[in-house]
Amino acid sequence: MTEKPKIGVYVCHCGINIASTVDVEEIARYAEEIPGVVVSKTYPYVCSDPGQVLIREDIENQGLNRIVVASCSPRMHEPTFRKTLKEAGLNPYYLEMANIREQCSWVHSDSEEATGKAKKMVAGAVAKARLLEPLEEKEVEAEPSALVIGAGIAGIQAALDIADAGFQVYLVEQTPSVGGRMAQLDKTFPTLDCSACILTPKMVDVASHPNIELMTYAEVEEINGFIGNFDVKVRKKARYVDVDKCTGCGDCAKECRVQRVPSEYNAGVGNRAAVYLPFPQAVPAKFTIDPEKCLYLTKGKCGKSPKCEEVCQAGAINFEQEDEIVEFRAGTIIVATGFDIFDASRRPELGYQDYDNVINALEMERLVSASGPTEGKLLIGKGEDQKEPKDIAFIKCVGSRDETVGNEYCSRVCCMYTAKLAHLVKEKIPDARVTIYYMDVRAFGKGFEEFYDRVRREGVRYVRGNPSEIYQQGDKLVVKVEDTLTATPREDEMDLVVLAVGLEPRLETKQITDLLRLSQSSDQFLMEAHPKLRPVDTSSDGVFLAGCCQGPKDIPDTVAQAKGAASSALMPLSKGMVKVEAQVSEVDESICRGCGYCVEVCPYGAIELEEVNQMGHMVQVAKVNEALCKGCGACVAACFSGAVQAKSFRDRQILPQIAVLGGLKDE
Amino acid sequence: MVELDKLRSTAADTVSRDDVKYLLGWQKGTFGYRVSPCVVEKAEDTENLVFSPLCMSNLSTYLTLAEKLPVPKGEQPDDRKVALMVKGCDSRAVVQLLTEKGIEREQVVIIGCSCRGIVDLKKVGEKFPEPLDTVDVEWKDDKIVFKLPDGEQEVARDEVLADNCLVCQYPNPVIADVQLGDEVAPAENADDAGVKEIEDFSLEDRWEYWEKEFSKCIRCYSCRNVCPMCYCDNCVLDRLSPTWINRSVNYSENTVFNLSRAFHLMGRCIDCGECERVCPMGLPLGKLNRKLAEEVRKKYDYVAGLDPEEKPFQASYHPDDQEDFIL
Amino acid sequence: MSDNFEPNIVAFLCNWCSYAGADLAGTSRIQYPYNIKTIRVMCTGRVNPLYVLNALQQGADGVLVSGCHPGDCHYMEGNMYARRRLGLLKDMLEFVGVDPRRFQMSWVSASEPHKWKEVVEKLVGETRELGPFEQFQRNMINW
Repeated sequence: MTEKPKIGVYVCHCGINIASTVDVEEIARYAEEIPGVVVSKTYPYVCSDPGQVLIREDIENQGLNRIVVASCSPRMHEPTFRKTLKEAGLNPYYLEMANIREQCSWVHSDSEEATGKAKKMVAGAVAKARLLEPLEEKEVEAEPSALVIGAGIAGIQAALDIADAGFQVYLVEQTPSVGGRMAQLDKTFPTLDCSACILTPKMVDVASHPNIELMTYAEVEEINGFIGNFDVKVRKKARYVDVDKCTGCGDCAKECRVQRVPSEYNAGVGNRAAVYLPFPQAVPAKFTIDPEKCLYLTKGKCGKSPKCEEVCQAGAINFEQEDEIVEFRAGTIIVATGFDIFDASRRPELGYQDYDNVINALEMERLVSASGPTEGKLLIGKGEDQKEPKDIAFIKCVGSRDETVGNEYCSRVCCMYTAKLAHLVKEKIPDARVTIYYMDVRAFGKGFEEFYDRVRREGVRYVRGNPSEIYQQGDKLVVKVEDTLTATPREDEMDLVVLAVGLEPRLETKQITDLLRLSQSSDQFLMEAHPKLRPVDTSSDGVFLAGCCQGPKDIPDTVAQAKGAASSALMPLSKGMVKVEAQVSEVDESICRGCGYCVEVCPYGAIELEEVNQMGHMVQVAKVNEALCKGCGACVAACFSGAVQAKSFRDRQILPQIAVLGGLKDE
Repeated sequence: MVELDKLRSTAADTVSRDDVKYLLGWQKGTFGYRVSPCVVEKAEDTENLVFSPLCMSNLSTYLTLAEKLPVPKGEQPDDRKVALMVKGCDSRAVVQLLTEKGIEREQVVIIGCSCRGIVDLKKVGEKFPEPLDTVDVEWKDDKIVFKLPDGEQEVARDEVLADNCLVCQYPNPVIADVQLGDEVAPAENADDAGVKEIEDFSLEDRWEYWEKEFSKCIRCYSCRNVCPMCYCDNCVLDRLSPTWINRSVNYSENTVFNLSRAFHLMGRCIDCGECERVCPMGLPLGKLNRKLAEEVRKKYDYVAGLDPEEKPFQASYHPDDQEDFIL
Repeated sequence: MSDNFEPNIVAFLCNWCSYAGADLAGTSRIQYPYNIKTIRVMCTGRVNPLYVLNALQQGADGVLVSGCHPGDCHYMEGNMYARRRLGLLKDMLEFVGVDPRRFQMSWVSASEPHKWKEVVEKLVGETRELGPFEQFQRNMINW
């Protein structure tokens, strides 16, 4: 700012787009008279190669140090002209554009009026250009590692891709085993692949990959920092089992005095012991003691002595074990925390809480699964009355597309998993009578429509209607529904009713969203940066989304998104550097009062109060973290004393613009 | 009623503490109705402290006015506490300063005095012109007693109280280390004195009123100097780079100056009335500030200076904030 | 109010929504009055309410601040702060006798070019009726 501004004004004809309405020559003549303007020209297409050469030559030959281009919208060509300035050796931020096309020649028909307005817009741009300052596009180093939160199929796939690319991955999973929801499934639609068979190789890979540090039964406690430099703190919860000694033999679980803990893996339809392995193929295959169910840990004693300790030949039980805090730095973060299913008791009329034989889809999944509590046999009733159900109903859209429970969205997978479950029922019980009550059937994916046709050919009956009630009558359950296609009310008798529950965002994800300042969409799932063009990014730089935490989706879509997130997360890591926004805010410490208003309003936590020594007194002043600052300027408007300013959008750059556009001043 | 003995002994005890630098209080002035702020460093000097309807100054403004002189090398700054006496409104200024991190709680010892209202010297002057001898003034139920040289005079409170005191909702200090005096009930008349009068004008009449008032302004900046919430080292309205308003004194610049200051005080002004009191031209600044405070309270349910933990008004928002005015 | 009076409106548009919406109006060749001159800011949260007073002082007859709809702000919450501050600024202006129609705020998203046209026409129409702003315009002082 110490040299006198020498401004070059270039008025673009844009062919006839501007020139047919606005008198570009007159504008160039007008601009020439403005103090500080050394060069004022018109050109047919300033953005073209020769047009850019013209600007470059003028900068070199005439010593121009500010450029004003009066042409299309800066949203169109600002990057183009910034490059032009850079190539001419002038700081790219010495550019100002006047929008005389989209906001002038294209919207005003009277030539005189449009030209008059264009003149003012150019004068305003010149007023601002005079006061522009050179800005540096800084870069910060990026830590060559990624944090993946959640080890379901999304987290696993993302971790594998990043690790295969040669970077370190920290994979943190809250439950004792990786695998997530996919591990709970029996077969997947539409291929009827065995879920565990296709998942377990990946689970094993993730545990043995040299670049992946797997932390199961662990939670992320703190994340500070910014893209390329996230400081992460993870709490590894105490398993009370020494994982180096545990061989996974299972003797402890067999002998444990507490055997009837509802198994989370089995969705509560089966039990586990207080010391447990979530499921047989769990990775890592290490046992964990549930601190809320273990007699020794809750009451201080377990019989004469804990059975598990007695029978463990490897001596792996360790009741003295404590939580361990692990700290590390990661360059990027992928959030893959998955989903919860809708709690069907929120639709009390469907009798989920009242009747044993009204179950939800996940419970059904566990029942038909060979690794489940019934070894894949579909049975209802207890003890002697146990039998195969013959009349089975599926009710779709439970907890989805339903304003009354607050979930307006469609959960995307239920139509297909219902068809799959119906098929599995027919496979196990060929003479079963299966009815699916639906509002719509959405079979949009590859192979989906074909699978739906197949299921119907197998004799599964689809009835269009939304059941209003389920009640017991004798030893049958009655589904009360109106068949809307025939407009007849029905009361169908069933042995087993399966509710196709929808997907919901996981409650525990709230911890992560608060830590990372992530937003939620109106359906409460995590919000992507742009619904169309940036589906894996979040508005926090360096934080990406994968899988159902962003919205309900099936396995192929989850894997695709995980791979996409991995690719995005890899970009800063592979470059090794992260570019930081140049038009950030800056604090004048001599004016700053340390009131903290800017800190309160910053959406990114990019400005903080720091203690500095001002003439012997320790005072607090604001300081901007340029890596986090996005240049929105909220801090500037909040500052009463004008201490914090946004580069390129400073008060002293905007006020002259207002003065010119206001009209009392001509320059 | 705050008993003077108790007040003076409390002050003496406070000033005698090792961790207290000095005490800010009010002492009887040198003539007429004057009461001046004073700085007390020794316990003996607390004899002069008073608390009466003449104690107009908002002492919290001195918390941020104290000049921070450069500290010589090797020395430590004197970070001892400052004790100050506050009325109800003044204590809200202290709370607002805490909200804005202008001061820290450990830096102040607050001696709170429940207040029954301060007189407006203009109104008093109309009834009893100011004599040369000093006058003692006291509260007595719903009257104010003037101990004038030629005899005691009693006047109804409502006739001589300052405008903002007539509608005061916070006569008792909202924050204090020591509380003096019995609790005082808030004013019943919650109607904002003077604001309704202007709201009843038509748009043209309103501008006529304000144009006249703003033309009177001489830009002495007394209002800014006395205001406890105006403590920027370098006021944005004074600055030349960039120039927000010119320094010329005319109703255009004056209007923008006063409106800008009122706007900066929005959600922060605690209606101590000092600005209006010190204005040599008698601008009705209280009306403008009270109007904004009322809008903030009505529309956004926020009152300045009550909770030091609360987010400052201008740095917060609620997802349900009104937007009926937005196209 | 002379018949030839044409108001001068200064508008602050946020880069991501309203400025883009106005650009889309341009690409769609939607015609609207020329009286409006725009200043691009990154977010309405950047708009210091004192800019409005400054604009009126410097010759604007009307001022517009336009940004993203609540919830859509590119920087998450800037427009929320703007909403609060500018709403009260409007009240303050009305209290001192400035017609509130001179200062408007609008939510125009990047996909609402027709709304942009409506907003401009409304503001230009109303300020044309109200006449030039002379209440505290800088050059109105006669020495």
